Amino acid sequence: MNEECLQYFHRISEYIDRELDDAICRKIDAHLKECPECRECLNSLRKTIELCRQASEEAVPEGFRKRLRAVLKECFGAQPT
Amino acid sequence: MGASGSKGGRARDGEGAITDRNAEKDLDQQLIARFKAGSMEAMEEIVRRYERPLFNFGLKICGQSQDAEDVIQETFLNAFRYLNGFRGETKLKNWLFKIASRTCLRKRRKRKGEPEEEVPLEDFELDAGANSGYEIPSWSDDPSGQLLRAELKRIIDLSIQSLPQKYRLVFNLRDLQGFNTQETAEILEISPEAVKTRLHRARLFLRKKISALYREARAK
Repeated sequence: MNEECLQYFHRISEYIDRELDDAICRKIDAHLKECPECRECLNSLRKTIELCRQASEEAVPEGFRKRLRAVLKECFGAQPT
Repeated sequence: MGASGSKGGRARDGEGAITDRNAEKDLDQQLIARFKAGSMEAMEEIVRRYERPLFNFGLKICGQSQDAEDVIQETFLNAFRYLNGFRGETKLKNWLFKIASRTCLRKRRKRKGEPEEEVPLEDFELDAGANSGYEIPSWSDDPSGQLLRAELKRIIDLSIQSLPQKYRLVFNLRDLQGFNTQETAEILEISPEAVKTRLHRARLFLRKKISALYREARAK
């Protein structure tokens, strides 16, 4: 990894998140076209984020949903209507 | 590659998302007003809207279902206790996640012997390129292979749990819950720069950890 790669490596998450100015993005776009190592770095990071997103959604246990509502009703059920 | 990361692209792509967020905020404001007027249905609707993202957040931060349940319960109890004083300076969702984050942090402080580690960037600089050979599987590689998917989920959960908590909080809020940098900074009461730094290191950490565990699992 050379000096230029290292410089962009530090900004790669901001690049993924589209948080960089156009001028820096254009420089990174140009570098990525030339550098397979940085392309791989970018792709593997994107895959990591996507994988974590896809595997992370779980349903709330039904028993807990009922208990939660019972607790909230007990605490706030006497609100004036 | 052709994947421009410019702010301009984001603004064009984001108009629909902004409209959705405004509609959500309007609905939240209506629900809050109805709750303040004594509507139990409004309370139920608020719980129904946010229990799942809060549960998943608590689960990823605390690691155990029981702890996640405690976090949600405490979050909603505090939220409804103080909702009458909520002036809407922030979105309801962001406020709820702020309460949940504080609850998670309090829970952690109660546990002894869990050090808050740093994740140095230098750990990843040497193996950032193609030669490092990271192997990140796709979730959809084999949709029929439920065993493989269960194993993959275990690897991902274990990897996220291995992240020191301050990085885990930022990664969860940004990449799993979809808050932007500014919102995450406000929720955690840290600077936007700290959010960016922690997010970058968290992603690098997870890439390395997931790849290593995936290789181990395949070698068995």
